[in-house]
Amino acid sequence: MSGYFRTRYAEDSALLDTRPQKIALALFSIVLLVYPFLASVLWLDIANQILLSAVGAVALMLLTGYAGQISLGHAGLLAAGAFTTGILFKEASAPMWITLPASAGVGALLGLVFGLPSLRLRGLYLAVSTLALHFIVIFAGSEYETKRGYSTGIVIDSPIQDGRAWYFVLLAAAALTVLFALNLLRARTGRAWRAIHAREAVAEALGISVPRAKLAAFVVSSTLTALAGSLFAYYRGFVSAEAFSLYLTIQYVAMIIIGGMGSIAGALAGSAFVVLFPYAIDGGMGALGLSDRLSSLVFAVNYSAFGVVMIGFLVFEPEGLIGLWRRVRDWLVLWPFKQRPL
Amino acid sequence: MLKVEKLEVVYHRVSTAVQGVSLEVNEGSIVAIIGTNGAGKTTTLRAISGFLGLDDARVTEGAILYRGEHIENRPPHRIARLGIALVPERSKVFENLCVDDNLLASVTRRGGAFDRAQVYEFFPALAPLRRRDAGYLSGGERQMLAIGSALACAPHLLLVDELSQGLSPIMVDELMHRLREVRRQTGITVLLVEQNAQVALEVADYGYVMENGRIVLDGTPERLRAHPDVQEFYLGGRGERRSYRDVKQYRRSRRWYG
Amino acid sequence: MQIAVNILVLASIYALICCGYVLIYKVSRVLSLAHGELMMLGAYGLYATASLFAGHPLVALAAAVALAATVGAAVYLALMWRMTGESVLAAVLATIALGILLRGAMILAFGTETRHPLGQLGWTNASVALGTARISAVGLALVLSTAAVYGGLALFLRSSRWGIRMRAAGQNPLLAAQRGIGLHGIYALAWALATFTAGIAGMLLACDAGLESTLVIIGLKAFPAALVGGLDSLVGAVLGSLVVATAEVLLIHYVDPLLSDVVPFAVLLAMLVVRPWGFFGSREELDRV
Repeated sequence: MSGYFRTRYAEDSALLDTRPQKIALALFSIVLLVYPFLASVLWLDIANQILLSAVGAVALMLLTGYAGQISLGHAGLLAAGAFTTGILFKEASAPMWITLPASAGVGALLGLVFGLPSLRLRGLYLAVSTLALHFIVIFAGSEYETKRGYSTGIVIDSPIQDGRAWYFVLLAAAALTVLFALNLLRARTGRAWRAIHAREAVAEALGISVPRAKLAAFVVSSTLTALAGSLFAYYRGFVSAEAFSLYLTIQYVAMIIIGGMGSIAGALAGSAFVVLFPYAIDGGMGALGLSDRLSSLVFAVNYSAFGVVMIGFLVFEPEGLIGLWRRVRDWLVLWPFKQRPL
Repeated sequence: MLKVEKLEVVYHRVSTAVQGVSLEVNEGSIVAIIGTNGAGKTTTLRAISGFLGLDDARVTEGAILYRGEHIENRPPHRIARLGIALVPERSKVFENLCVDDNLLASVTRRGGAFDRAQVYEFFPALAPLRRRDAGYLSGGERQMLAIGSALACAPHLLLVDELSQGLSPIMVDELMHRLREVRRQTGITVLLVEQNAQVALEVADYGYVMENGRIVLDGTPERLRAHPDVQEFYLGGRGERRSYRDVKQYRRSRRWYG
Repeated sequence: MQIAVNILVLASIYALICCGYVLIYKVSRVLSLAHGELMMLGAYGLYATASLFAGHPLVALAAAVALAATVGAAVYLALMWRMTGESVLAAVLATIALGILLRGAMILAFGTETRHPLGQLGWTNASVALGTARISAVGLALVLSTAAVYGGLALFLRSSRWGIRMRAAGQNPLLAAQRGIGLHGIYALAWALATFTAGIAGMLLACDAGLESTLVIIGLKAFPAALVGGLDSLVGAVLGSLVVATAEVLLIHYVDPLLSDVVPFAVLLAMLVVRPWGFFGSREELDRV
């Protein structure tokens, strides 16, 4: 008989419970800390983008992957955070320590608004109501832009300019988000979310306040998302309504699908995949010698390739990269057998 | 016409619902399978009508032969078009479609002929309700419509799942009578699955008794009716050993000693 | 008067587009968010056939319409059949992914500049006087073809055998299969019909205002109309389109033209709060998920 046995509750809820896991995490942290000193400017930018989208992806994963509430309004929430930052910066030249909490507050408020329909609607209808809210937030943002004469977008001066400094800020943000999410998930809230996801009526019968848990999921998720939006605004130094199209929402949804539903590690893997994807396509086209002929159409190639990849995951690997990894791991561990012994 | 040989059905790859069931249905006869809940009757019927795939179940062993052709694990609409129609246990009519449309929706077997007037002849009660939505029909009328729209597939073999369920004894008698009438006029073969053994053995030409996924008894209705076990558990018996506990003990002793 | 005509034209645009949403949802319980892209594909189909059959506009039109229906069936047979029985989210996402794929592929195939299929067909968009108001010829064609499409669909679903089977499959797929109805065939037919109507809408819109990527946004804007009316009701789709179009035209006219993109969604939100299943939708849908 192989395996290990838990003898205390603390072991049951520990985030890391075996020595190899601790070693792996330590090694991974060292790699992450050393990375910015070795990477080129381009790769540093890519890493920053991954970390930034990881925050948003984890937030969406909490909402969709764990609490089971479908949202198509993610870009709208990011936009809300970014615009709050931009507007506060322009109107009151507020510094970062004001704009970040303010964005989080707006996110929490919007989370409440986005979440209210979820008390009556489920599945498809909920997705549609969040989609509607997306359009309304974007409309409000572009309205501000045109009325104040920033029709091309709002320019923001970031207090952090250096890519390497950004890397550590974003790494801290992503790490804190992940830690926060993991802690939430192993506590009462996380269990309530999973129960709602599995079956609402049963969850209610078990004494979980379904409305409260649902609203909590929306509020937590959109607060984190708005924070990510605010950081995005500072990182890019620029806010405009065009940057938050429906395609951005689709990208975030793709992150959690491709990563693997119901797994924080999946959200991280998914955001890395989606951020790296266009660069990989670019590289592939360069290698094939197509980039000259199609240079003006790179985004179209990106679109179609992204569509193909998403369909591929939905059809062939609905459990995403994490599912793939688990299967490979099982195969390696169990070889030459195909199933775990009963 | 239908021959099931040593059928084994496994749900979710682990739990076996039907084990080594063999039965035969001859052309033009009415055959009944009786048994309690969970005996595997409905699973057998689903295996024949091709409805296992949806529940993550499979026929893992044995064969279902329809006129010499293997039909196990085929998609349901193909089986329906071969001439095997099912009257399901629950949700048996399209509730937002009117009676006429329910009959029209059925796909008639290739080479078969069917006329709606025929159904209204068998079930005159339906005739005045032609344009009413099936959702507003009573339980008995629904059952008639369900049988009628199964007949609209012009089947050779009609599978009926729990005809008596939720219906008054008068309605059940009436329906059974109609079913016999249908058989007499059209020569359709019928396979009945019933918990109500009394009724089933009245109309059937041959019966099978299922328990725990196996066939434990078979024979003509007279023979089955005469059998002490059937009398005891399916026909009401002499009034002794009626509690569930007794039944369990009785079964256990039979399994161990008999 | 002019406003009434504008409302009528916009409502028929929305109605023509959203009958595709309704058809697919009614029959297969899938929401297709690739509808705008399929419209655009239909319009490009017309553009392609117009240059192929230059000088025979009617032939080109017929070919393009047939092409659209074929594309719809192909979409189901190539992709969507794998999504039957999957979760709502997976099916919707598959259509979204399909939409992205089509958008990219269309840009690769046809480029980004605005095309004018009407000119390609050799026709011009004259304007017709209607009392004190004016309506463009294409606008008139839009209203008429919407009426024709709805009339045809209603007739098909009410009285043809296949129409009845489609409704049956939408209500209870399991029972439908027991009655010998091949579900994949029915679903493919629904996709073909939906894409056919989307194609007509795309072609007419492209003839009116030129063929460019804004078509996709119009496709998406029509979707609230379908939901306001009730996602599985064709009558509801007409009513929803009228409501949304009225609100949009009036607000654009009297308040702010910029509101155009957001009005349908605001109407939708109001509807979702008050009556989530829409005017004519069946109520139990909410518990299906």
